[in-house]
Amino acid sequence: MTETAPGSADFEALRQKSIEAAEAAIREASSRPDLHLVQAIQALDDTDKYLNITATRASEWYGLHFPELIQMVQDNVGLCKMIAEIGGREGYTAENLQGRGFTEKKVAAILEARDRSKGGTISDGDLSRVKTLASLAVQLSAIRGALNDYVEAQMKKVAPNVSDVAGATIGARLMAKAGGLDRLAMLPASTIQILGAEKALFRSLRTGARPPKHGILFQHQAVHMAPKWQRGKIARTLANKIAIAARVDFYRGSEELSLKVELDKRLERIKELYKEPPKRKPETRERPRREGRPPRRDKFRRR
Amino acid sequence: MSRLLREEKNGRRALLTKNLTPGKRVYNEDLVIREGAEYRTWDPFRSKLAAAILKGLPDDVVVEGGKVLYLGASTGTTASHVSDLVGPTGLVVGVEFAPRVAREFVEHVARERMNVIPFVADARDPSKYAVAKVDVVYCDIAQPDQTEIALVNCSMLLKKGGTLLLVVKARSIDVVKDPAKVFEEERAKLEKAGFRVVRALELSPFEKDHAMLHAVRRD
Ligand SMILES: C[S@@+](CC[C@H](N)C(=O)[O-])C[C@H]1O[C@@H](n2cnc3c(N)ncnc32)[C@H](O)[C@@H]1O
Repeated sequence: MTETAPGSADFEALRQKSIEAAEAAIREASSRPDLHLVQAIQALDDTDKYLNITATRASEWYGLHFPELIQMVQDNVGLCKMIAEIGGREGYTAENLQGRGFTEKKVAAILEARDRSKGGTISDGDLSRVKTLASLAVQLSAIRGALNDYVEAQMKKVAPNVSDVAGATIGARLMAKAGGLDRLAMLPASTIQILGAEKALFRSLRTGARPPKHGILFQHQAVHMAPKWQRGKIARTLANKIAIAARVDFYRGSEELSLKVELDKRLERIKELYKEPPKRKPETRERPRREGRPPRRDKFRRR
Repeated sequence: MSRLLREEKNGRRALLTKNLTPGKRVYNEDLVIREGAEYRTWDPFRSKLAAAILKGLPDDVVVEGGKVLYLGASTGTTASHVSDLVGPTGLVVGVEFAPRVAREFVEHVARERMNVIPFVADARDPSKYAVAKVDVVYCDIAQPDQTEIALVNCSMLLKKGGTLLLVVKARSIDVVKDPAKVFEEERAKLEKAGFRVVRALELSPFEKDHAMLHAVRRD
């Protein structure tokens, strides 16, 4: 540490250097990292779809040749890895089935299936086409993982409080729907609650059907794991906290609040207060179908 | 004559700091002339340090020529008054990690005031702004682990015998009734880390649920 006296030339040089560095850091932050996050979460969701389509096609095609394997291996990406790396049915050995998370019993079963398979033969050309598809699926899964890591890490930096209460991916989807952190910070909680359920909302306005209780927020496990009659209340509570979180993240920078603790407390209370389903028989009017993205299947979840 | 003035205006106590940059405002404070010099009004409702001074923090903690490490500079409202207080021979190292607020701090305070060095950095990493040993560490960063953060900064950058001013946010209502009791935990942490807690100042009516701990590093 060089101790230079305030007012001296050395001190002033140090000061100017610090000012420039600070301004550079500020400029970098004003490159709107939230908009990059919005693109990344959409790319993540796109990649999910490509991955699903590609892996499903590869496994269906490969199933003509080795249908038993498709039945035995639930993890689509793991299956595609095997197709890409091992290839034809005859290639499966105890060695190359190692390290894929199978039990010994499973390995034995696969080898047995190999010997008695009811699948047809496959030409080298078709096998190589399937392998290409399968390795594309594997690559997509890696891309998906990297995007997911980026979203999680960036959400912690750009919107730590939203990330804390909503979870990184759901928070990012809300931001994407709103069009950025600035817009999300301006939305009332009632809008946040049904972001992603616009179709259902307009239908309800048009036809008098019941308004939607949740959109993207349905993906939050506190909502979709809860019994039906609690979901609206939970979604509203969640939306309230997210609205506060977004404002803090946008206007006050990164100050951290204990919103999550408060949220958990309120959710506990809702669970207690509304333990029993409501007595009154629900109206028999046709319920509008839930809009928005279906809850994520666990198959492609990392970890 | 001190760079801090206390006044009584319509029965209300007010604070003024001697403007280091005469003619220039930092936010929308008033500029007034006292005994031939320009002073800036310092609103205790907007600044916890001003509130603490009105609630009994002595004038000799932040003094002319002093070096202050200011954690959580925000837009620089309070930091600008600290810059007034330490004057042209003093130093304020201001640390703020949220770029949006740091912009105002750099533009309106650091650029204008030759005794202020700004850092857009996380207070958890003092090596990023270790430019001088200081007499006072002022910490107002509203983080759950801020006492630990303050202590890390003190052990690296506070001179022996130096002062720590720590803004503590009360978590419940009875804090207001008996701050000494509720702040015991933070106080214990400071004592254990080699500090003597001189006083705990509750900041009402200026701030709700806040207190300032004034501690001195033992030699
Ligand atoms: C309560 S405000 C400070 C207000 C300021 N002391 C005043 O009176 O003008 C807290 C500030 O600390 C900043 N902050 C929070 N955690 C920080 C950290 N780890 N490092 C640096 N700054 C932080 C926040 O971004 C926020 O601007």
